Amino acid sequence: MAKSSSRKDLRNQQPPSSAGPSSIGGALLGAVVIVLASALLGIIVNQLSPRGIPLLPRSGSASEQTPALALPPGVARVDAEGALAAFHAQSALFLDARPQEEYAEAHIPGAINVPPHSFEERFLDLMDQMDEGSALIVYCSGVECSDSIALAERFLEVGCSDIGVFEDGWRAWVAAGGAVAEGLEP
Amino acid sequence: MRAGRLLRVLGHPVVGALCRLVLAGIFIYTSLPKLMHPGEFARLVYGYRILHPDMVNLAGITLPWIELAAAAFLVIGIIPRSSALVLAGLLGLFIGAGFLALARGLDIECGCFFPFMSDHKLTWGLLVRDAVLILFALQIMAWPSGFLPVRRARRQPSAS
Repeated sequence: MAKSSSRKDLRNQQPPSSAGPSSIGGALLGAVVIVLASALLGIIVNQLSPRGIPLLPRSGSASEQTPALALPPGVARVDAEGALAAFHAQSALFLDARPQEEYAEAHIPGAINVPPHSFEERFLDLMDQMDEGSALIVYCSGVECSDSIALAERFLEVGCSDIGVFEDGWRAWVAAGGAVAEGLEP
Repeated sequence: MRAGRLLRVLGHPVVGALCRLVLAGIFIYTSLPKLMHPGEFARLVYGYRILHPDMVNLAGITLPWIELAAAAFLVIGIIPRSSALVLAGLLGLFIGAGFLALARGLDIECGCFFPFMSDHKLTWGLLVRDAVLILFALQIMAWPSGFLPVRRARRQPSAS
């Protein structure tokens, strides 16, 4: 009985033509309430959460351009100019955190491809290629990717200290006229 | 005649339920990882180069909650028309942001699905997908119905 009555109710839904101004206004009001209430809830949860991020990026320390893009403590930010200088001076080992296919298409000459998920299996191999205390510069596609930071964190965990993240990454390198190598070999 | 039949099909409760479940399911699925990783999501938002950097974190914090709330309301049938309107608005926002990014030649990850690390690039095809999802939202707005009997119960307070 209840089943048939609820079916009937469903079939008697209003057709689109009956959506008058009041129902449109009500829908808009409801939408505004959903947006404001859920945004407020999100802000409160973020403030209480250990994973929370600052609401206003630049209100903190002056060195933090955008704490959403905050780097782990001990990791330096490297811009395209700094990356080019390190490349020409051969003062740092470049690590490419992008997927292997993108690395094979083009990468910074000498850079080793280490997607973060392959860190464990590549670790011993990497240690062989790194001089003790050598500086590392990690990069991925661009500022929107997090793989370079994830990889930098892995190196921090195993005790490496001189690590820089080239945040603007591969696209900035190309735009700055940096040298390019192709294939799977560094 | 054909238009009438089409409207009857579009307005059928099963079609409505499917639209609601698909739309809400997608948004719930995509919002949860963003909720848990606001920093990474804010970074993806920043990659679109549309918002001022000062606004990036606020968007990264609030957008997933708005998605989740509207999708949850849609599933349980509370104010479905408003919930669908919110999701349609978000989809419109994503299309606009994606269009601007692609028009400027940005080669970025779309940030649509978790895990963020996967190579899920922003493409024109994704904007078309969002446009199709807007049609789902329009169906719900035109023929709103509750999945759970919340609205019916509210309409019949003195049924006993």
